[in-house]
Amino acid sequence: MKEIRPPQFALRFLRMFCPAELHESIEGDLVEQFEEDIVSRGLNYARFKFLLNTINFFRPGIILRNKFKADINHTYMIGNYFKVATRNILKRKLFSFINAFGLSIGISFCILIFLFIKDERSFDQFHANKKNIYRIESLIYESRWKSDQVSPYTRSAWLQLGLRDALKDELPEIQYATRFNEGSTAILRYRNKVFSEKIAYTDGDFFKMFSFKLLSGNREKLFENKLEVVITPAIALKYFGSEDPLGKVISIDNQGAKLYTVAGVMEAPPANSSFDFKILVPQENRPYYERSMKQWGSFNTPCFVQLLEKTDTANFRANLDKVVQKYMGKMLERWRKEEAIQLPIDGKLLELIFTPLSDVHLLKSVNWHKVSDPQYSYILGGIALLILVIACINYISLALTTSTTRRKEVGVRKVAGAGRNQLIYQFGFESLFLAFISMLFGVLLVLLFLPSFNQFTGKEIAIQTKEWFELLGIGLALTFFVGLFAGSYPSAFLARYQPALVLKGQFTSRLQAGFTKPLVVLQFFLSASLIVCSVIMYRQMKFIATKDLGYSKDQTLVIPTQTGWNEEANKTVERFRIRAQKESGIVSVSGTSSSFNQGYSRYGYKIKDEQKSAYVYAVDPNYLSTLGIHLSQGRNFDATIFSDTTAIIVNEALVKDMKWDDPLSEHLNWREDTVGIGAKVIGVVKDYHFLSLESAIEPMFLSIDKKNVGYLTTLLVKVEAGKVPVSLEKVRGVWKELFPDRPFDYTFLDEDVAKQYESYQHWMSITGLATGFAILISCMGLFGLAGINAVNRTKEIGIRKVLGAELPSIFILLNKQYVGLSLIAFVLAVPISWVIMGKWLESFKFSILMSWDLFAISILLGLIIALATVSYHALKTALVNPAETLKYE
Amino acid sequence: MQKEYLGEFEELVLTMVGILQDDAYGNAIVNEIKERIGRDVNLSAVHVTLYRLEDKGYVKSGMGGATKARGGRRKRIFTVTNAGLAMLRVKKEQQIQLWKLVPQLKIVGG
Repeated sequence: MKEIRPPQFALRFLRMFCPAELHESIEGDLVEQFEEDIVSRGLNYARFKFLLNTINFFRPGIILRNKFKADINHTYMIGNYFKVATRNILKRKLFSFINAFGLSIGISFCILIFLFIKDERSFDQFHANKKNIYRIESLIYESRWKSDQVSPYTRSAWLQLGLRDALKDELPEIQYATRFNEGSTAILRYRNKVFSEKIAYTDGDFFKMFSFKLLSGNREKLFENKLEVVITPAIALKYFGSEDPLGKVISIDNQGAKLYTVAGVMEAPPANSSFDFKILVPQENRPYYERSMKQWGSFNTPCFVQLLEKTDTANFRANLDKVVQKYMGKMLERWRKEEAIQLPIDGKLLELIFTPLSDVHLLKSVNWHKVSDPQYSYILGGIALLILVIACINYISLALTTSTTRRKEVGVRKVAGAGRNQLIYQFGFESLFLAFISMLFGVLLVLLFLPSFNQFTGKEIAIQTKEWFELLGIGLALTFFVGLFAGSYPSAFLARYQPALVLKGQFTSRLQAGFTKPLVVLQFFLSASLIVCSVIMYRQMKFIATKDLGYSKDQTLVIPTQTGWNEEANKTVERFRIRAQKESGIVSVSGTSSSFNQGYSRYGYKIKDEQKSAYVYAVDPNYLSTLGIHLSQGRNFDATIFSDTTAIIVNEALVKDMKWDDPLSEHLNWREDTVGIGAKVIGVVKDYHFLSLESAIEPMFLSIDKKNVGYLTTLLVKVEAGKVPVSLEKVRGVWKELFPDRPFDYTFLDEDVAKQYESYQHWMSITGLATGFAILISCMGLFGLAGINAVNRTKEIGIRKVLGAELPSIFILLNKQYVGLSLIAFVLAVPISWVIMGKWLESFKFSILMSWDLFAISILLGLIIALATVSYHALKTALVNPAETLKYE
Repeated sequence: MQKEYLGEFEELVLTMVGILQDDAYGNAIVNEIKERIGRDVNLSAVHVTLYRLEDKGYVKSGMGGATKARGGRRKRIFTVTNAGLAMLRVKKEQQIQLWKLVPQLKIVGG
């Protein structure tokens, strides 16, 4: 009869947790019962019962017995382990240093990333009412501009100005509602202090909904009077000094000055707030407020609501729909007909949806000036983990290769009665000990790195006192992880030595590289991938910085006219130009409606039933010459030709878009004028990158038509090369002379342009830094390995030299395996980094090609670094006089 | 005497070890309890209790010889120590004394 056996996996499970000394008898009892059960109750029942019984043994009374016994054994020994560990660390200072250095950097990176992720998640969590606060968003079906959209729906936080009142009137579940939009610039005047400041428009409910600390003023009554302003302490100090700001009257000028009374001082929002403000002004004071309130077609403010406790959100969504129908129904219907929009079934042209306040920060599909991509956290976490793994590999491979020196110790310990488990504990303890030391250094490194880390990531993380415990906790958790991860294999490996063999001296002292080789390959693979990524990123950023954009961005000052959207702006440009002609350092002066990277306007128009769109800039006749933009056909604007006021200059992309053969004979009816034929095209400029290199060159035209296109709100002043500081002072002098009541703000055009790529720059720095550390740590590991290898082969080298081997051949002998290993690593790294960097480059419309030479450079770079690392030992060993090494034999 | 506490189940298991003498191992105790007082007990519970009794010093254990039955696995045989025997005795005395205090007549009346 075939023997019936109990379920084997249950037995394996038992073996896993059951203490060794109890295992046999327990298993025996289980099997016995199993056998009895088969006879009395049948096989199935017996199986089931066996399983149940086994699982029953998985209880504290059994499991804890494991540790209990072990602890008893080890408490005696811990003193000894500690002593031996310290001695070993001190005895091999270089290896200890390599290990501790790598591990502390790995640990500190992990802690930094932890802080980063914690900060990301802490956004807006400090509001007491956060559970009930939602941001209302619009979901609009876009049929107009399809060029670069994935989904036909556009989700946006920008809503109509009148929506807030409509919501409050219609929906009883809304307790509070406030509009909030920051980013307008206004000129503040108080006595002789005149500055331009960013102001935010909001409503009185803002103060009741959000938990920003009000330092003075009455929270309930704020903004009941519409000419009140709330400021932060910094602004109070700037304008009023030590005087009490409450009740002070200050002039705020955003397209028309008004006098406001300071009604409250509010603490500045913390860095982890989605709201950013210094000066809060009632919404009612926005320019064109009354007019915008009636316009349901323009979206110009975000809106937040606080719902009553226990509001059913599904119901709320349906109610929002009713509001849309009531207030915008007719308009939407008209839109749909006019544009002949084919809505999908169940699709809505405009829908209102909402997002809880605490999700706003990481919801990157909706644009918000502080929104963040949760992907960053993953990427950073991945990089930290990579470095930690590389450091752990150092530990493992060094521990394995030096294990030969400790085999006698293992032998003696075993002879003296140490069990295998005990030795595993001992070596585990050692790795934990080293990891703990590294953790302490790692925490110190965190303090050291934090300022530059903040700079790289654009954060303002500070470690509060109460967070230290948390950090220490994380540090300890990492210590255990590293200690166990890095220590487990070497300790199991060491504990395996057979005492009799070891003490008899059967082992050779040669490098036991079997398992270390794949580890080195893995390590180099990780470093190599980082090298390739860095090289490609660096090339792309260099490409961007040096690419010819089609216009000259150097030595050009960008100065806002500080006049608002009116005729005054154009006069400012004109007056400045006339006055500046007398100054020697100023080359040319021009004006535009928006400078590069400072916004744009885009118009949609229908021509022959085809929906088109173009970017539009208001300029003056000096625009082309100031920026060095070349005309490919036609002529520049001429101030003396009257008809030029309605003429336009288009770019080549627009010509292509319109499929014009002779653009100079064409008219562009961009205002959809039913009577006329549109604006005459008088010139074509060569394509230049008026947008960032992330996007293609879109159709665009320039116009000097102030009434229909816009005013020159920005001055572009080109100054002489090489004399920038002097010329800057001249420009400032002219400004102060002409417009003493307006603040003089300026930026450099090239810096504005570079700012578009700031986040890429950050990521390049972070990857660069990580690459640097990864290479450093893996090279240190390699250095250690090469050292051991060289020492192990000293005698062999001696014999070879005696037999006539030349220096180069010995050098090659010692190095070839490392070259081989790093080549394998690179071969593995190339496809992976190819895929990753391909994705990265996709975010640019204009990018470098990933050609073989980039990879060749990276491989060469990596090989040189690896060779340089191992050569020290190779040379040292190769140069030793063979007599030295062989004389003791 | 120090305040050693013996739980009800511990006492039961200890008594069974005393009864079974040289054949006192986990499975046998389970069967014995089932047979004598008709109570289904869990093997793991018996094991845990035995180890606890061992910790308290009331029983000691040693590995018995291998038999063909259990797939060749040896049994862990438990024996009552003097302390265990004393404890059992104390328990018995206490119970008898307490029993004496219960008015017996009332029960007889039924």
